[in-house]
Amino acid sequence: MRAKIFDIQRNSFVDGPGIRTTVFLKGCNLNCKWCHNPESQLPKTQLLFYQSKCVSCGRCKEVCPHALKTCELCGRCAVQCPTGAREICGKEYTVEEVFREVAKDRIFYQTSGGGVTFSGGECMLQIEFLCEILKKCKEQGIHTAVDTAGNVPWEYFEKIMSVTDLFLYDIKCFSDNLHREGIGNSNELILQNLLKLSEQFSGDVIIRVPVIGGFNDREEELKQIATFVKKLRYKKTELLPYHEMGNYKYEALGRQYTSYYVPRQEEMEKYRTFF
Amino acid sequence: MEFYTSSKYKRPIRLNEKTREFAYESLYCKYGRDTRKVPYVSLKHIAGYETMSALEQYNCAILEIAKTAPIRICEGELISGAATLGDAIGHNVPARFDDTREEMRSVSHLTVDFFEVLEIGMDGIRAKAEEAFKKHVDPEKKAFIKSCIHCIDCMEIWHKRYVEALKEKAGFETVLENLETVPFRPARNFYEAVQSIWFCFAFLRLCGNWPGIGRIDVLLGRYLKADLECGRLTLQEAREILAHFFIKGCEWITGENCVSGDAQHYQNMILAGIDECGHEVTNEVTYLVLDIIEETGISDFPVTVRINKNTEEKLLRRVAEVIRFGGGVVAVYNEDLVLESLVDMGYPQKEARKFANDGCWEVQIPGKTNFSYVPFDSLKILQHVTLKDYDETLDFEDFATLFEQYKKDLREQIEMIYRQRVLEKLQEDNVHFKTATPCTVVALFEQSCIERGLSYHEGGTVYNVISPHIGGLPDVANSLYAIKKAVFDEKIVSFKRFMKILKENWENEELLRNHILNHYQYYGNDNDEVDFIAAEILDDFSDMCRKYDKETPIRFVSGVSTFGRQVDWAPMRLAAPFGRKSGEVLSGNLSPTPGTDTGGAAAIIQSYCKADLKKQHTGAALDIGFIPSNIDSDNAIAAIVGLIKGFVRLGGYFMQMDTVDRATLIEAQKNPANYQNLSVRVSGWNARFVTMSKEWQDMIIEKIEK
Repeated sequence: MRAKIFDIQRNSFVDGPGIRTTVFLKGCNLNCKWCHNPESQLPKTQLLFYQSKCVSCGRCKEVCPHALKTCELCGRCAVQCPTGAREICGKEYTVEEVFREVAKDRIFYQTSGGGVTFSGGECMLQIEFLCEILKKCKEQGIHTAVDTAGNVPWEYFEKIMSVTDLFLYDIKCFSDNLHREGIGNSNELILQNLLKLSEQFSGDVIIRVPVIGGFNDREEELKQIATFVKKLRYKKTELLPYHEMGNYKYEALGRQYTSYYVPRQEEMEKYRTFF
Repeated sequence: MEFYTSSKYKRPIRLNEKTREFAYESLYCKYGRDTRKVPYVSLKHIAGYETMSALEQYNCAILEIAKTAPIRICEGELISGAATLGDAIGHNVPARFDDTREEMRSVSHLTVDFFEVLEIGMDGIRAKAEEAFKKHVDPEKKAFIKSCIHCIDCMEIWHKRYVEALKEKAGFETVLENLETVPFRPARNFYEAVQSIWFCFAFLRLCGNWPGIGRIDVLLGRYLKADLECGRLTLQEAREILAHFFIKGCEWITGENCVSGDAQHYQNMILAGIDECGHEVTNEVTYLVLDIIEETGISDFPVTVRINKNTEEKLLRRVAEVIRFGGGVVAVYNEDLVLESLVDMGYPQKEARKFANDGCWEVQIPGKTNFSYVPFDSLKILQHVTLKDYDETLDFEDFATLFEQYKKDLREQIEMIYRQRVLEKLQEDNVHFKTATPCTVVALFEQSCIERGLSYHEGGTVYNVISPHIGGLPDVANSLYAIKKAVFDEKIVSFKRFMKILKENWENEELLRNHILNHYQYYGNDNDEVDFIAAEILDDFSDMCRKYDKETPIRFVSGVSTFGRQVDWAPMRLAAPFGRKSGEVLSGNLSPTPGTDTGGAAAIIQSYCKADLKKQHTGAALDIGFIPSNIDSDNAIAAIVGLIKGFVRLGGYFMQMDTVDRATLIEAQKNPANYQNLSVRVSGWNARFVTMSKEWQDMIIEKIEK
């Protein structure tokens, strides 16, 4: 069994407790315009091209079977590119291969109360694989977290609940209209799943709310989320301010990015008081 | 009045307003500038000075210092004594016969023994010296012991001057009362103990020396415990008293520019760890020290905490919290490994458990060791010797042959160090030490000099250690790895051609250079292939030293450091095979070459710990940098604690952690006036960033993750 993965990041302090390794699975069924990992959205392998790194040496063209006219994602150009301007995004991994990477920092998970976090994209879309790797990590005593937007059939949650210690659950907005407007679909399933999770999952859930300047940074909207969240039995909600650090990746994908603005620190402080 | 921090958190306030003000003006150079005003005492008027022996000259100098050095009593100070002569800041005995030049070099890289003076007072030490004087018959030894007694007399003269001066002032009754007992008689309580150590420390520094403090919580812990138990003192009062020790230690901060930054006078301190019997020593003093650093950001006493597998969680969290405020003041030893290393080296276990540093982070036994190190650039050996300045006629059949040749060349370097530095110190019999520059004041606080009748530099100490320190090792591992990959594995360039390319400093070879830079994972990324090259060299290096160890009374064991020498070495270095051009500043200590590590702290620690570091008996330092915004969450404290614990479990030796971002440092370069107290960890010391030269500042900036 294999999964399409676009990055494995060690030494993360922000994806759950302690020191963590975050495994990013490729493919997402939401289409958030502010996504800071736009390369995560499509499930297929993609070629990224960073114009600013290119020195126009022409090696890519030399090695490409199609002289760069079409692309079969063979990756030859990326291997040959001396400056890393061309990068293949998305690689198949077996459960064993992922586990080997995850196990490398095991000692730091133990010393910091950390573990592994599966993120994306929407990691739950590759549910069979996710279930297997979570099982493997659990068996080996590694704390497991799943970072999800929740827009998946409830059965998926049922499948992995017993091998997941923590869900990092994103709520982007409460109003269904706003959700449709900014993301393209309803948030009904997302909210329902979270309610069910709250009833049936014995582990921990951290709610994460991205605060996107120009989208959901309205007091009323955030207060509604807060009211909803307070009904759940989970204590922790994290508000994550929008940042622009992913913008360069839109360029590498040949896409336009939609500009939002970064909420000010004082605003963030105020919003945090709602929760 | 706010003390600088790079963190978004505000430093806590625990000290009273007066103490905080005293700290503030000290940090902003008030007393350092004052110290500069009188650089030295003159010896010109001393009849027959030029025909005296070196020891007699030294005796005259100390007497003159004691009699005439300016007395400084700061308003509101809780402890007195001050090292007020400017030449001492430059590592000299501050006394001159000829106004145009310094007379005698002083001593650094030592941590003396302050336990004895607390126990028996300077009077007790004098009695010991008088006893030894009677016992010895050798005239040279007698002259040395006489010099010891003379130096104690000088200290007494200086002491009397303070007592008289304090009597003239109002409000110093308690200080005066303390000084009537200490340091000449044993300390009876915490306050006296702090004053006693401070007075001796100040006298050592007044005479030019740069000693470390050693295990301050062990030194003071039992006094504080007794005082707290009988209600003689509150914790708050104790914190104020101890804070004055730290504040007065800023009296050499001048704010003047100097190459590697001001305030590097090696007055390191050690906290926590186990005692001789294996019991944990952590006590109230341990936490008071951390409180004081956290509040004031005083970086002039770099602190290293001895962490072992059983260290309490509370201490680890406090360490992480203080680290988060930046300044790089607190570092950690892996006590378990250091002890194993010292016992391996031959120290009895109880002795090993007393370890502290030499003033930086090289390990030694305080009050018993004469330590020095001999740094060398291992990359230079690869470039100039093994690869003969990239001679184009050179060829190696395979990687193994090249690697063996390098190790052979390294061996020759070690042998040369042994001949030039160890044998040079000894007389022809290779047993007795040659006569060296006098430094009697130091001997008063070294345990066996007086009994043996031998000076600190002439075999007086229980242990004598000279340690070759390998520098640039990560660059060598990266270089060899790049050659292995590009020439022997991938065969993308021939050896001869590669030599030519390197000789021409990668000119017109940007593509190959970029390939080598971007497609290989170098030391610091937890890549076994390159990490094991580093580990193997280290192992062999240690064995090479072992060959000469125990041949003479001077121990010869290995260690790793550059401190900041990578800056000085850069101009002499050629292009490096892993894609670096000539003259670039490369790796420091055993840390990754700047720009090559991408996996974060955990991966760096993994790479570093693959070598058997206990074989580096005098230490092997790792530098880790945090970006403030990455560690401003609650979870970051758990993460830092986790990194420290992981470092201990994986077998690290010494790790220093700084917290600062590039933008702040670049801003500080532009507007130094706004960042006078931005402290950065350099190596065994911290420096105020704005007092460093541009080259050193750039080196620090390069070290920080982009």
